[in-house]
Amino acid sequence: MAPADPPAETQTPAAITLTALRAALPLFIPAIPFGLVLGVAITDSAMPTAVAWSTNLAIFAGAAQLATVSLAATATWLTLVATAAVINLRHVMYSAALSPRFNDQPRWFRWVGPFFLIDQLFALTSVRTTLSAPVWRRFYLSAGLFYFVSWTTVVTIGLVVGSSIPTEWRLDVAPAIMFAGLVVLGLTNRPGIVAAVVGAGVCLLALEVPNNGGILVGAISGVIAGYLADVAESRRTMQHDAGHR
Amino acid sequence: MSTLAAISAVLSVGLITYASRAGLIVFLADRPLPVNITRALRYVGPAVLSALTVNLIAGGEGVDGVEWVEVAAIGVAIAVAAVAHNLIAALIAGMVTLWLLLWLL
Repeated sequence: MAPADPPAETQTPAAITLTALRAALPLFIPAIPFGLVLGVAITDSAMPTAVAWSTNLAIFAGAAQLATVSLAATATWLTLVATAAVINLRHVMYSAALSPRFNDQPRWFRWVGPFFLIDQLFALTSVRTTLSAPVWRRFYLSAGLFYFVSWTTVVTIGLVVGSSIPTEWRLDVAPAIMFAGLVVLGLTNRPGIVAAVVGAGVCLLALEVPNNGGILVGAISGVIAGYLADVAESRRTMQHDAGHR
Repeated sequence: MSTLAAISAVLSVGLITYASRAGLIVFLADRPLPVNITRALRYVGPAVLSALTVNLIAGGEGVDGVEWVEVAAIGVAIAVAAVAHNLIAALIAGMVTLWLLLWLL
């Protein structure tokens, strides 16, 4: 989607910001129901509402926020923190992929920029490889701030609306549905399916593990299974290619 | 969970989130991750999110906490997500399934 932008180098700072906002908006729309579900989950949370809401400012990562506020009822402190941490491990990949773009940036931006690095911002900025360092920085910060402000707004709307929705609507099930949908949308290859099935299956078998430890047991088993399936698959592909030579 | 425990949990998750986003940018500029690590990281998402889904359905009550209407709703959501590649459609389909089943029974 990047190449359709007007030539950024000739634009005024305000025009670059406008370009960034135009590019950012369509990617935000699918996040709106997620933000609303999170807002409702905050009203349901075993955490005090203000603390659960503060995840917007302190964490700013939808899946980890949803896990944090929904696990507070049943999990121990350590399980909660460890689960949210594991959910966010994927950001390490974003960090690795974008780090070359941060090398020629000022130090303050290298510290501030990563806070905003959500999936949408990564998708927007990682493809814009031709922008100069200052233009890329303005683009990144404009889109990042836009996501930060709109996300917090949508979650707050969900919180306000959610507290008036009767419990018979069973919106408490929405987070689980959301996570299931995220799994499916994130599956790009066969090892990914293996990781998801093993993660869910082992967690099911490990439900009696105290303190919700089954999540981590399932997650670790899933990662190992996905990794092994990936290795096996690339070996097969290599043998297949060799056979054709 | 006490208020203090909740605050410290939120701050810890926040710090870990920031560290995983900033670590390689601030400290390891331009040093690529080992191939094996990126290979394993790719499967963190599906593994932990599916485990979390199962855990949330059980609601901390072990296998007894699993309601079959929830399982049905999630099954429909998974099918819709796989076919439509759309999270909103999956969420709506799942919730409508849940409401229909609860209303019929």
